Amino acid sequence: MTTNLEPEGQQPPRSGLILLQCLVLGLFAVFALRLWYLQIHRGEEFSRKARDNQLRREAIYAPRGLIRDRVGKLVAVNEPAYALGLVREDVKDMAATLAQVSAWTGIPVEDLAQRVGHLRKRIKPFEPLILVQDLPFALLARIEANTLFWPGLEIVVRPKRYYPQGPLLAHVLGYVAEVSEEELERDPTLAMGDLVGKNGMELILENRLRGAKGVQNLEVDATGRRLGEEVVTSPSAGENLTLSIDLALQELCFHLLDGQAGSLLVMDPATGRLLAYVSQPAYDNNQFVLGLSSKQWAELRDDPMHPMQNRAIQSAYPPGSVFKLVVAGAGLHAGVSPKDTAFCTGGYAFGSRVFRCWKKEGHGTVDMLRGLVQSCDVFFYQLGDRLGVDRMSAFAKASGFGDLTGIDLPHEKPGLIPSREWKRKRMGEAWYPGENLNMAIGQGYNQVTPIQVARFVSALVNGGELIKPSLTMNDDPVVQDHLQLTDKQRDLILEAMVETVQEGTARVLLRKDARIGGKTGTAQVVRLKASEAEKRRKLEEMEYWERDHAWIATFGQKADRAYVVVCMVEHGGHGGSTAGPVVKAVYDYLFGENAS
Amino acid sequence: MTPIDRRVLFHFNWPLLGLTFLLFAVGVLNLYSASAFRLEDGLSVNPFYQKQLVWGLMGLAGMAVFMVFDYRHLQVVAWPLFGVTICLLVGTLLFGKVIYGARRWLDLGVMNFQASEMAKIAILLIGAKLLSRGQRPLDWGHLFMAVGVGMVPAGLIVLQPDLGSALSVLALLGGIILYRGVRWPVLRLMLILGPILAPLGWFFLHDYQKQRILTFLDPGADPRGAGYHVIQSQIAIGSGQVWGKGFLSGTQSQLRFLPEKHTDFAVAVFGEEWGFFGCIILLSIFCLFLYHLFLAAQDAKDRFGSFLAAGVFFYFFWQILINMGMVLGLMPVVGIPLPFISYGGSATLVNFCLIGLVMNVSMRRFVFKQA
Repeated sequence: MTTNLEPEGQQPPRSGLILLQCLVLGLFAVFALRLWYLQIHRGEEFSRKARDNQLRREAIYAPRGLIRDRVGKLVAVNEPAYALGLVREDVKDMAATLAQVSAWTGIPVEDLAQRVGHLRKRIKPFEPLILVQDLPFALLARIEANTLFWPGLEIVVRPKRYYPQGPLLAHVLGYVAEVSEEELERDPTLAMGDLVGKNGMELILENRLRGAKGVQNLEVDATGRRLGEEVVTSPSAGENLTLSIDLALQELCFHLLDGQAGSLLVMDPATGRLLAYVSQPAYDNNQFVLGLSSKQWAELRDDPMHPMQNRAIQSAYPPGSVFKLVVAGAGLHAGVSPKDTAFCTGGYAFGSRVFRCWKKEGHGTVDMLRGLVQSCDVFFYQLGDRLGVDRMSAFAKASGFGDLTGIDLPHEKPGLIPSREWKRKRMGEAWYPGENLNMAIGQGYNQVTPIQVARFVSALVNGGELIKPSLTMNDDPVVQDHLQLTDKQRDLILEAMVETVQEGTARVLLRKDARIGGKTGTAQVVRLKASEAEKRRKLEEMEYWERDHAWIATFGQKADRAYVVVCMVEHGGHGGSTAGPVVKAVYDYLFGENAS
Repeated sequence: MTPIDRRVLFHFNWPLLGLTFLLFAVGVLNLYSASAFRLEDGLSVNPFYQKQLVWGLMGLAGMAVFMVFDYRHLQVVAWPLFGVTICLLVGTLLFGKVIYGARRWLDLGVMNFQASEMAKIAILLIGAKLLSRGQRPLDWGHLFMAVGVGMVPAGLIVLQPDLGSALSVLALLGGIILYRGVRWPVLRLMLILGPILAPLGWFFLHDYQKQRILTFLDPGADPRGAGYHVIQSQIAIGSGQVWGKGFLSGTQSQLRFLPEKHTDFAVAVFGEEWGFFGCIILLSIFCLFLYHLFLAAQDAKDRFGSFLAAGVFFYFFWQILINMGMVLGLMPVVGIPLPFISYGGSATLVNFCLIGLVMNVSMRRFVFKQA
C-alpha cells in the first residue's frame, strides 16, 4: 500500500526489489543448509576433532618392580633419567636445532638426523622424540637454560634402571633396555622409548616386574600449555622381587672365580633356591640400560672369554667323574647290588681294546662305595657295560639331565644325554657297545650344565625331590620330579661323597664341624686340531684352551642347615685341585673359617 | 534544512533500529566470550567487548547525525564528497604511512585515517545519485559511465595496494547497478564473459592471495599452515552440534585453537557455543535485518532514497555473505568482518551511521506528500 504513495517516476525498480528479496532468501537457504551440514550432519566428527585438539592422552609410567637381595638390600632400582626430547611440530629450523644438540652433546649431526628420520613414523609430531637418552647433570643445566631459544627441544624425565652391584649380579638380573621395533609390534601396551627386560630375570619376569601404565587426559591449549590433567586409569607398580641370593655370599663367590671362566652355585637343597649364582667372567649390565655404543658391544662380543655367556645354565660340559654319581644311581635303580665288585688292574679289556683306569696300577677289588670314593674307572666301565645306554640314559633323564631346569633365566641349554635314537638321528650310526663305557665315566657325548648338577645333588640331599632351581623368595618351591632311588640307595651315594672328602679326591673340603660330601670331575676338552688358528696363539694361551675342565659337586650339612655347592672351572685342570679350594672357601664362609 | 516533522518521528523505523540493537547486543555478548582465554588458573578476558561498547555509543551518535537532516541534501554533497575522497586517496598514496608494506593510512595527527573507508560512502552516494536517474535498465553507455566512476577510487586503492577494499567499493557499486537493472543483452554478455575473464584475475593476485584460494580448494594440503584457519573454524562450528557447548564453554576458542576469533572468525565462536539452534536464530536476525533494509528501499519516497537503502543493503549483504561464507568454509579466507559481530571500531561506527542513513530515508517517506 505504501508504494502507491510514491510520486510518478519515483517508483523503485521492480527487478531490483525482486533481486534483493531473492538475495536474502538465497543467503538464508545456503547458510542454513551449510550450518546443518557442519553442525548436525558432521557435528559428531567435528566434536571429536575438537576434543582431540583439547585433550592429549598421555601415559603415566608405572614404576618397575624393585629387586632386593635375600636380606633386603636393593639390587635393581629405578632412577630418574633426563633425556632430551624433540617435538618436531614446534621446531622452527630442524637443521640448526640438530646442529646445536650436536654441539652440546658431541653426538654427530648425522647420527641425530638418522635417529629423527628413523623414528619419525612412530612418534607423532607433537610427542617428544628422544634424541639423547641420558644427559649428564652439567649438560642438563646448560640445555635447560637454552631450550627457550630452541623451540621444540625439551627435557623429558623418564625412569631408568640402575643396578648398584653391576657385574656381580649381571648374569642373574640381566638388564632392561629401550624397546625394539619387534617388541613394539608384539605388545600394543608398549610405547617407543619404554624400557623392557632384555636378559636375565628382567626378561623372564618382565610381565611381573613391568606393572601397568596409567592413562591421563591432559587438557592443553593451542600452544600446548597444560591446563589440567585428569587421570583416567592409575598406573599400577610392578611386583617387587626378593632374590634368594645372599649378596655377601654372592660377592665372595664372585671374587673366588676372578680371572677364571666358570660358574659357582650355592643352592639350598630343600627349596632349590640359589644363595649364590656366579658366572664368570661377567659384564656390567648398567651399560645396556641406556644403549651400548657399537664399540662397547664389539668389545663384549669379541672378548675371547665371552663374558655374556651365562655359564651356569648356558654352557654344557662333559660332566667327567661327577657323572659317576648318576651312573651309580642308575645301577642301583636297575637292581645292581652295591655289594657287587669289580677287580681293577688299571684297565678294562673290552673287545679288542683296553679301556684305561685313571690309576695305572689299579684299585684292586672295589664295590660301588669304593668305586665312587676312588672314582675307579674300571668299576664304572663294568657297570656301564652291564647297564647299557638305555638304562643309563633313562635314569639320567629322570634325574633332570638333558633337559631344561626351568630356572627363571633366558637362554638355558638342555645339555645332552645320548641315546640310541639320538645317535642314529644325529650321526646316522648305531650305538657301539664301547660307548657305554665312555658314557659311564662321564665322557663321550654327555653334556650337563652346572645348574643341572646342583639340582641333582640337591635331590640326593633333600630326600629325592627334583626342585626347580629358583632365584627368588617370592615363589614357593616347585617340585618337578622325584629321583628314582630309595632312601638307602641315596644314602649310599651320599656316604660315598662324604668318604670322597675324607679320603678321596675332595680331601681339601674336609672339616670337623660339618658333614661335607663331594665328587670331583675332570672333563677332557676335545683337543683342538692343529690348525692355523693355533699357530697364531701364544703358547700359554694354547695351553689354557687345551686344559681340562674342572668340576666339583658338593653338599655340606651342619645342624639343620644344608647347602649344595657346585663349582665348574673351564680349563681348570683337575677338579679337586682347582675347583676344590674355591668350594672350601665357600664352606668356610658358610660354616665358619677356623673349623677344619 | 526542513524542520523535523512530527510524522517523521511517527514513521520512525523501529524494527530496523531494534534489529540493529539486537545484532549489536549479540555481538558484544559473543565478543566477551571470544576475547576470553582459559589459563591454568581460570578465565582471562580481554576488554574488547568494552571497547566495542564504546564504539557502539559513538555509533549511536553518528546514527543520530545521519538521521536529522533530509537525505535529499546528500545529492548535492555527493560530487564534492567524491572529489575530496579522490584527493585524500591521492594524498594517501603520496604521504600515507606505510604499514605492513602497504600505504593505506593518512596520519591526521589525532588518528590514522583510512581514505578507502570514506571511498565506500562516496561511492554509495554517487552510485545512488547517478543510477537513480532514469527508469530503463542500463545500456552499455550508462553502464560504462557508472563503472568508470567507480574505477577511479578503486584504481587508486589498488595502488596502495589494498585489493580487498577496492573490490568492496566495486561490489557496492555493482550491487547498486544490479538493483537498477541492466538491459538483457548487456546482462547476458556479462554472465557469459564474467566466468571466462575471472581466471585472468589470477595473474593480478599476490602470492598470499593465490595461496588462500588454493587452500580453500584443498584445506587439508597444509593443515598446520595455510589451511589451519579454515579447518579450525569448521571444527569450532561443527563441534557446536545442535545446542552448542554453552556460553564461555567453547574449547576451540577458549583454548586458542581458533585464530582471529574476536575479529574475522567471531561468528565461529558463536557457532561453537550456541550450536545450530543459535546459528539459525542469528542467521534469521541477519536476514530480517536485510529484509528491513529491503523494505526501506521498497518504501522510499523517491528513487534516490530507494537507491541509498539498496546500497546500504548491498554494503551489509556482501560482508555477511563473504564473512560467513569464509567461516563456514564456502569461500576463501578474505579479511572481511561480520557487521556488528566482529570487533572493529571504525567499522562499527560506519555501520551505525549507514543504518542511520536508511532510517533517515524510511522515516521521511511521507514528508513529500505536501510538497
